[in-house]
Amino acid sequence: MKQDEFNTTKLPRGIIPPDPVGPDSLKGVPRQQTNPSRWDGTGWNAFVAELTSRDIMINQSLAGRSVYITDGGGVAMGLPRGVLVARSSEDVATILKAAQKYTVPVSVRGGGLTTEGECISFGGLQLDTRGMSNVLHIDEANLTVRTEAGIYWHSLAEALRRRGLDYISAPLNMTSSVGGTLGVGGIDINSPKFGCSADQAIALKVVTPTGEIVECSERENTELFERVLLGYGQFGVITEATLKIRPFTPITMHYFYYSSLRTAIDDLRFLVEEEAADYLGILTMLDRAINLLVAFDSDEKEREFFSRYKKRISGLGEIGFAIHMAAHYALHPWKAKEALYLLERKRSLLPELSPAAHMHGNKIIDRTVVFSRAVWKFWGDREMVIPDLATSSEKFAEAVERGNEVCRRYFPHYTLYCVGIKLFGSFENRPRYELSCIPPDAQNFGYGCEFEPMLGNHNYSRDHFQSFKNEIYDIGVDMGTSYYRFGGMMKGYIRRAFGDELVDKHLAMKQKADPAMILNPDVIF
Amino acid sequence: MSRPEGIREVDVLIVGAGLSAAAASKRLVDAGYETVAIERYALPRNKPCSGIISPRGHRFLIENFGPLPREILHEPTSCQGVTFHFRGMIQMPMDFDYGSTPHLNRMNSDYWAVKQSKVEVHDRTRLISLENRGNHVEVLAKQDKEDVRYRARMVIGADGTNSQVVCSLYPGYRQSINWFTVRQYLHEIIECPLDRRYFHFWFHPGLGYYTWSHERNGRQIIGVGHKAGDKLTARHQKTIEYLEKHYGVKLKPTEDKETVVNNFGLSLINRYVFGKGNVIVTGQAAGFLNMIAEGMSCALHSGAIAGEAAVEAMRSNADLQSVYRQMIASEVRRCSDQWNPIKILFGRPHEADFREALSRLRGRDKRKVIVEILKFLYPWGEYNWGRQMVMQALIRELRGNYSPSRWL
Repeated sequence: MKQDEFNTTKLPRGIIPPDPVGPDSLKGVPRQQTNPSRWDGTGWNAFVAELTSRDIMINQSLAGRSVYITDGGGVAMGLPRGVLVARSSEDVATILKAAQKYTVPVSVRGGGLTTEGECISFGGLQLDTRGMSNVLHIDEANLTVRTEAGIYWHSLAEALRRRGLDYISAPLNMTSSVGGTLGVGGIDINSPKFGCSADQAIALKVVTPTGEIVECSERENTELFERVLLGYGQFGVITEATLKIRPFTPITMHYFYYSSLRTAIDDLRFLVEEEAADYLGILTMLDRAINLLVAFDSDEKEREFFSRYKKRISGLGEIGFAIHMAAHYALHPWKAKEALYLLERKRSLLPELSPAAHMHGNKIIDRTVVFSRAVWKFWGDREMVIPDLATSSEKFAEAVERGNEVCRRYFPHYTLYCVGIKLFGSFENRPRYELSCIPPDAQNFGYGCEFEPMLGNHNYSRDHFQSFKNEIYDIGVDMGTSYYRFGGMMKGYIRRAFGDELVDKHLAMKQKADPAMILNPDVIF
Repeated sequence: MSRPEGIREVDVLIVGAGLSAAAASKRLVDAGYETVAIERYALPRNKPCSGIISPRGHRFLIENFGPLPREILHEPTSCQGVTFHFRGMIQMPMDFDYGSTPHLNRMNSDYWAVKQSKVEVHDRTRLISLENRGNHVEVLAKQDKEDVRYRARMVIGADGTNSQVVCSLYPGYRQSINWFTVRQYLHEIIECPLDRRYFHFWFHPGLGYYTWSHERNGRQIIGVGHKAGDKLTARHQKTIEYLEKHYGVKLKPTEDKETVVNNFGLSLINRYVFGKGNVIVTGQAAGFLNMIAEGMSCALHSGAIAGEAAVEAMRSNADLQSVYRQMIASEVRRCSDQWNPIKILFGRPHEADFREALSRLRGRDKRKVIVEILKFLYPWGEYNWGRQMVMQALIRELRGNYSPSRWL
C-alpha cells in the first residue's frame, strides 16, 4: 500500500470527513488534527525564487529558523521552512500574493506569545511582523495613536509616556505585539472598564490573504474590520492600527484577601457590574489565598469606592487574613507544607507588585511595567500552560470552581487569574464577537479565568498538559462557555463550543477570503 | 525506502516503525530534528494484535496524524466495548467511554501513522548493536545482508516486546523476566452468537491466562495466551470446544494464526525499562501494556513522550534520562493505575466502567464474579506479583506517583 492510497491525505482544510469508525465514535470530538503535519514543501522553491526576483529574501538558514521553533507556550514545536521579517505592508502583500499562487502556508507572528502553537509554522513560511514597529502619529487632541502593528505594547507605551499618554487596554504582557493582540482580544485588569484591546481599535490597515492592502474601520470596509478584529488571523494581516489612547495616570492599588473562591468571585462580579473601580481582577495562590486587586486612576474614584462599596464586600485586609490563615493552619498542621509555600510566595511576590523604583507615595507609576515584570518572573515558566474559560456572569463562579478542582488534581501549585470584560454592544452590531472569546450568552460583561499551573523546574509530558487542558475545556463544553485560547492545539474544541453551523459559516468566509487557505492555516481550521 | 551510505549522522535514530515510533517521530520531525526510523521488516509489515485501541489512543491518532482513513480499519470497523465472561454464563458487557473505538488493521494503521509523521524510514534494517559513547550513540544495523552504520545524538528504542534495543543495553534482561505467548487463530464462521460489537474476554483459568474472541473481516478470532513454552494448540482446542458447548459458537477449522511473545507483567508491578545514557526505551519495549493487553494507546503516548524528551534534552542540553524519566511518570501512572487494586476499587482508571457493569448484576452473580476473578488470579501466583502490586499501590497513594527506583 502506498501513501496516496490512504484517502484522507489530501483533505481540504477545515473539512471534517465522515467517520469510518462508527457514528458514536469519540462522542462529540471532531475528527480534526490539532497537531499539524509538517507541510511537504511542494512549490516552495518556486515561491522563494519569485520573491527573490522581487528583492524579498527569505532566510532559510537553520539558525535563522530555529529561533521560531516554539511560541510562548513552549509546548507545541514546529520548524518553518523559511523566515521573513516584514518591513512594510507592501512586503506582506507581495508575500501573500505569491503564497496564494504557490499554495505556501504562511504563519504570522509578532511577539510570539500564543500558548497553543497558533503562531508556529509547521514547515511553511514564518512571517515576523516585528519589522513593522514604528509609531506613526500621535494625535493628542483626539487621543488616538497610529502605529505599525508589529510593535510591542512596551514600545508603544514608551512612545506614549513621553507625551503623558497611555494606551487604554492591553495585556499585562508587554512583549505581545499590537497586531497579534487585536487579532485575539487582549485582556487587562482594566478590561472591566474598557473592554478588550480589540475594542480600542478605530481603524486598521490590513493585508488580505490574497495580498490586497485595505484600510478599514467602523465606517470603511466595515465587514473586513469586524472580521479581522478577534479573527485569530484568518482574514488578514494587520499592519497598522489606529487606537484610542488616554492621559497617563499613576494608579493606587488595594488588595483584599479571601479564603473562599466563590465569595471572591461574587465580590468581583459585584464590583465589575457596579463599575466600582478602574481596575479589577483576582489572582490566587492555589485556592487558599485569593487576592482581589482593586485599583484606581483617581483619588475621587478611590474615595467613592471606600465610601460606597468597601463595606459591601467580604475581603479581608492583610493582617486580618494573616490571622485567619494562621488559625486555619494551626487547625490543619498536616498542611504545613502548603502554608510554607504560600508564605514563601507572598514573601517574594507581593513586594514585586509595589517596587520602590515604580512607586510615588502609594501610587504605582507604571502599572504595565510592574505587572509585566511580575508576570514573567512569577508565572513565566519554560512552558506556559494556561487553559481558560470565558463565561457569562451567571456561570462564572461554577466554571472557576470546577476548573479549580481540575487544577488540584493535576498540579501541586497553581494560580487562577480572573477578570471581567466589558462588552460594547451585542453580537448583532459587533460581528467581531462571533466565534471569539466573548461568551455568546454574556450581557454587558463577560468573565474569564485562566488556570495556570506553576511548573517550576519539573518536566511534565505534553500529554499531561493536554489531559489537563482537555478537562478544563470539557467543563466549557458542558457549561456552554467560550475560551480565550481555542486555536492551535485546542482547535478541536471550536466546533464543540460554537457548533457546526457557526464554524461552517466562518469556514465559508475564510474560503472566500483565502482561496488557497494559506494564511495562519493551522489556527482555527 | 532509501539506503544510507557510509555512516549516517542523525539527531535521533528510532528503532522500530510501529505506533510508538510514529508518535516519537512526529514530535521530533515537527521540531525539525533529523530523524531516521529503522524497521527490521519490509513496510508495510503486519503485527499480531487484536487491533482494538482504546478511545484515548483513538483521539491521539486523530489529533496527531489526522482523521483515520477507512483503509486502516478492519471490518467491523469499530468495537463498542468489552464483555467479560465468567463461568456460569455470567456476562458483563461494558461500553467504552466516549463511544465505540476503532478496530485497527495494524499493517496499514502503523504504516499510515509512520508516513503521516513524515519521518525517514529505512526498512528491512535490523539493529545489531548500539554503543553509548557519552555524547552520541554508534549504531550497527544490517539492511538486507549489508552492514549499515548510524551515529546518533540519541536513540529511541520503540521496537516492541522482544526489543533488540533493550537486549543490547541489558544483555541478561531477556532471561530475567517472565515471558508469555499469545496466539490468535482465525476461523471461518459457521455460526457465532457472540455479539460482534464487543471484544469478548473470559475469566476462566481452565482456558488459559488470556482468552478472548472477536470478529475480524468475516472471520472469528479465538485468542489464547499462556506462559511461554505452554502448548497453545491444546488450549486453543479446549477453548473452541468450550465456546461451542456453552455459547453455540460453530467455527470451521483454523486457516491462519498469528503469534507474539509478550513481556506481560511489567506495568503491573512498575518494572519498566527506560534505557540508559543517550538511549531511551518506549512503548511495549519499555513494558507499557494496559488492562486486557491493550498496548496501542500507551505505545502512542509513551512514544510521543520519548520524542518530547529527546527534543527537550537537545534544546536545553539536559540529561536525556532525567528528562524522560520525569516526563514518562504521567504515562506510568495511567498505565499502572489500570492494574492498581486500590484504583480499581475506589477510582476510575479504565475507559469502561467496571463498577457500573458489576452493579447491574444480581447480588448472587456479583459475588460469583468476584470469586471468579479471584480464582482467575490464583494461577498467576507463581510470579509473585501480588505483593509487589499492593506495595506499589500503597506507594502511589502516599506519594502520588509510582516509585521510579524500580525502573531499569
